[in-house]
Amino acid sequence: MITYAVFFFFAAIAVIFALVVILHRNPVVGALSLVASFFALAVMYVLLEAPFLAALQVIVYAGAIMVLFLFVIMLLNLQRQPEEPTRPIQQFLGYVGSSAFGIGLVYYLSKYAVMELPSGPFLADARAIGVKLFEVYIFPFEAVSILLLAAIVGALVLSGRGVQTS
Amino acid sequence: MIPTQWFLILSAILFTIGVCGVLTRKNGITIFMSIELMVNAVNLTFLAYARQFHQLHGLIFVFFVMAIAAAEAAVGLAIFISLFHHRETIDVDEANLMRW
Repeated sequence: MITYAVFFFFAAIAVIFALVVILHRNPVVGALSLVASFFALAVMYVLLEAPFLAALQVIVYAGAIMVLFLFVIMLLNLQRQPEEPTRPIQQFLGYVGSSAFGIGLVYYLSKYAVMELPSGPFLADARAIGVKLFEVYIFPFEAVSILLLAAIVGALVLSGRGVQTS
Repeated sequence: MIPTQWFLILSAILFTIGVCGVLTRKNGITIFMSIELMVNAVNLTFLAYARQFHQLHGLIFVFFVMAIAAAEAAVGLAIFISLFHHRETIDVDEANLMRW
């Protein structure tokens, strides 16, 4: 019973802070709300018996990526510039279209996605993931390392001021 | 044990919020944060199905998605910094050099 209470509490936190992200004007508040939403999602990962990925969620997402976002927001000093609202037709189509999409999706899932959970424990600790990662998925793992290297070089080239392009 | 369906519904709601943010905002950083929100909703779906079918592939995919989201965030934010240096704004409507 306590599991259900935890699920609903943190699901509400995740949804409310996600709404704050897209509705608040100040990007700093948005970024901090996104951190809160990611923490709630880490609790969801623990409920889904994936504690290793919950730790990764907190360390990589809430730790590294959101700090990068906050750093860029502070660097660009965005609070000084008030954001102009989008065109009314775009607002209308965005809200109506996305809510129709969401309502359709939730209706479909609540009607047809009833599934019986299999019995037996699901072993998904760090050891099992590591063995799988370095046996079956060794080539994608190495490809991701090259992609990260390319991203580092690309970020340095793009944000460097020393590049003279005339 | 919480049914898989509830996690899927939560994931659908979070994804919809992300779509709404991308469609209605003009601030580039906020659009980027909405994209991160959608990526996390998809991660939640991967983990829900991984537990449903007792497969580890879903967890490995979440691992890769996290790595690629980190790369994407680094490059995207560098693009916004570069845009800010040239245009003094990160309003995505102002970046209209390649507009037809």
